[in-house]
Amino acid sequence: MSTIPSPPRTELTPVPDEPPARRRRRGTARVRHIALPFGSLLLFLLLWQLLAASGTWSETLVPPPAKVWSAFIDVSTTHDGVRGYNGTTLIEHLGISLRRIALGAGIGIALGVVFGLVMGTVGWVRSLFEPWITFLRTLPPLAYFSLLIIWLGINEEPKITLLAVAAFPPVAVSTTTAVTAVSQSLIEAARALGGSRWDVVKDVIVPSALPETLTGIRLAVGVAYSSLVAAELVNGLPGIGGMVKDAANYNNTPVVLVGIIAIGISGLVIDGLLLRLERAVVPWRGHV
Amino acid sequence: MSSSDTVSKGVEAEDAERAGSVRLDHVTHRYGRGGETVTAVGPVDLTVPAGEFLVLVGASGCGKSTLLRLIAGFERPTHGSVRVSGAAPRPGETAGVVFQTPRLFPWRTVQGNIDLALRYAGVDRAQWPERRAELLARVGLEGTGKRRVWEISGGQQQRVAIARALAAENPLFLLDEPFAALDALTRERLQEDVRQVTAETGRTTVFVTHSADEAVFLGSRIVVLTKSPGTVALDLPITLPRGAVDADELRESREFVDLRAQVAHAVKSAAAA
Repeated sequence: MSTIPSPPRTELTPVPDEPPARRRRRGTARVRHIALPFGSLLLFLLLWQLLAASGTWSETLVPPPAKVWSAFIDVSTTHDGVRGYNGTTLIEHLGISLRRIALGAGIGIALGVVFGLVMGTVGWVRSLFEPWITFLRTLPPLAYFSLLIIWLGINEEPKITLLAVAAFPPVAVSTTTAVTAVSQSLIEAARALGGSRWDVVKDVIVPSALPETLTGIRLAVGVAYSSLVAAELVNGLPGIGGMVKDAANYNNTPVVLVGIIAIGISGLVIDGLLLRLERAVVPWRGHV
Repeated sequence: MSSSDTVSKGVEAEDAERAGSVRLDHVTHRYGRGGETVTAVGPVDLTVPAGEFLVLVGASGCGKSTLLRLIAGFERPTHGSVRVSGAAPRPGETAGVVFQTPRLFPWRTVQGNIDLALRYAGVDRAQWPERRAELLARVGLEGTGKRRVWEISGGQQQRVAIARALAAENPLFLLDEPFAALDALTRERLQEDVRQVTAETGRTTVFVTHSADEAVFLGSRIVVLTKSPGTVALDLPITLPRGAVDADELRESREFVDLRAQVAHAVKSAAAA
């Protein structure tokens, strides 16, 4: 290998009207936004590998990254005549769970919006329901899951209900707050233009509550997501939470880790999508 | 009672029924309930014939905004009666209103705000593009229809609010200190536009302001209100030329300057009383 040092790299196309200081600063910003997260991920994998190789803990407790990767391949494909994990591939487990979330959280969100609109506009309805919703919100979903199983059995019903009950309070609370805070002067402006009561609800109250409601929906999906494993603790297979629970029963740490990582990544993706939706749907946020 | 007296009374009563006319009979308005009430307005007797440009002037807190809200139908008088075009006023039906702030809907574009007003006014959807363009042109905002309302300046926002209030073509036009928050140059330009728009459409206008200058420039009649509770302190017809006039020349004319001094003095002494 030649040892001739390569010439120092220079900027081939210098931008004339940009001061070098700013260019450097922007370069640093790019490093910070892309290189640092990747660097920390690599460092984490390296430490993980070192820890696993050191043999401080048994492989059951800390499996090396390679083992987790091969578990990921195993549960994603058909191998030795076995399809994925327990006859279902990872993506199918995830899909089934996401469908449960879509259905359960969807019901909870829809109810939350309706309750929020009514509670925000009619004072006595708010007084009637608010303490119950506050109480419900403080309960961890696992607390009422047992009750749901007694009432609804062990199939889809308790899972969907759990997710709906978990998603309902954040949306109801944020919508109520948003509706109560609707600018009276905008309502008056709509009335001055000849808008009816229903026009005011449709054209002023709903759009002005929308940013807060969407934040509530993001929160609700987050809560539903974190209740997923709980919802799939009983008879959760197929389902990503069920897979994690089942693998844990057999001390199959690599599959548990695959499940956790899959839940985490899909959660991030969904939150990112909801954030983009929020920006697209309510460009007026902050301009009211 | 002579016959001529009866005739003139009959004419007056008929005039008060005409579209756009306003009649206040012994109007008093109090805020609050029980023992702790504040009388904001009254008693006020005032008749605004159709087609007049009335400016209500007074120091802040004299109840002039309350009086306008009573005429708009947002509030009901504690005592007395308010009649617009011969009937009790109803928000959105009897008058177009422009507020101190534009109060535009930020989730709608400029034209979206105007379309909403056209829809509420029951205008056929097929006519919207034409009417919308007409309204935007009237306030000098051609080509801004697609803009977001927070992207345009405060003066432009208030122009949109004026166009929106004109959409329903109500015979009465109410403006509550609409230019108070604008810079002097924008304010003068908008005053000229309002003067022209109301002259063109022949609408009855009630305009509230604390500025004697604005009052004399805009009004065909000025009513100065005393301070809490607001009652009529001065009722002054303005005989300055209306219609197409050079605004700068008008503002510098001897007559204008004299009237402005007279109104400013009346406002000051009414506020002190």
